[in-house]
Amino acid sequence: MASTMKYVRVPPNSASLAEARQRVFEFFKTACRSIPSIMEIYTLDDVTSPSQLRSVISSEIRKNAHITNPKVIDMLLFKGTEELCNIVEHSKQRHHILGQYVLNREDRTHDIGNKDQGASDFLKSFYKSNY
Amino acid sequence: MASALRSSILRHIRVPISGTLNLNGSRLWTFRSMSSHGDDHLDKQEVVDRVLDVVKSFPKVDPSKVTPDVHFQKDLGLDSLDTVEIVMAIEEEFKLEIPDKEADKIDSCPLAIEYIYNHPMSS
Repeated sequence: MASTMKYVRVPPNSASLAEARQRVFEFFKTACRSIPSIMEIYTLDDVTSPSQLRSVISSEIRKNAHITNPKVIDMLLFKGTEELCNIVEHSKQRHHILGQYVLNREDRTHDIGNKDQGASDFLKSFYKSNY
Repeated sequence: MASALRSSILRHIRVPISGTLNLNGSRLWTFRSMSSHGDDHLDKQEVVDRVLDVVKSFPKVDPSKVTPDVHFQKDLGLDSLDTVEIVMAIEEEFKLEIPDKEADKIDSCPLAIEYIYNHPMSS
């Protein structure tokens, strides 16, 4: 997997939203099919499961569901592919994967909502982590 | 389609029986023609059960709504990305790799069951 992904070339821009959409699904499938090797590389068997990782990938994709500009989608796909290549080629360490994709993902996005009702918008976005 | 292809291939392949075995002086024919998969095909009921299990274990799905003829988007309220995710989960469960053209068509339980039941490599 790692050797095939290393030489992946950058495809030309998507001509339409439909094409960009199709590419998103292809990327999602590629990512899903590399989950078993990722689990093996980073020994994630005892902390997560393939189905959880699949949900994480789809939620990452769904974060950008509102975007309709094909060029922006292409750019995000490029970044996603880059991230996937880095992960598959073991350019990261185990704690990167755990922190970004495994541990308490719900808390990270929602914990602001309950606690800091009185805080200003600036502080809220300041507290929001960069992940 | 896969089963038609399989039978047409099998019709043209003849494997000479060369492996003979001497055991206690008697000659025993050993038949092991193309035995890795094909004959041990999945039972239809087993396919149905396992597909339903996969769909039920999907976090956004209400398990009580899942029946063998449910449509992912119309009946379960899933979107296209969820559908792809379920198809990926089915791939993992049955150890298949479904090509893109086929995977795009699978959007309901009956289609998924039909595809897997007719797939010679599903296990």
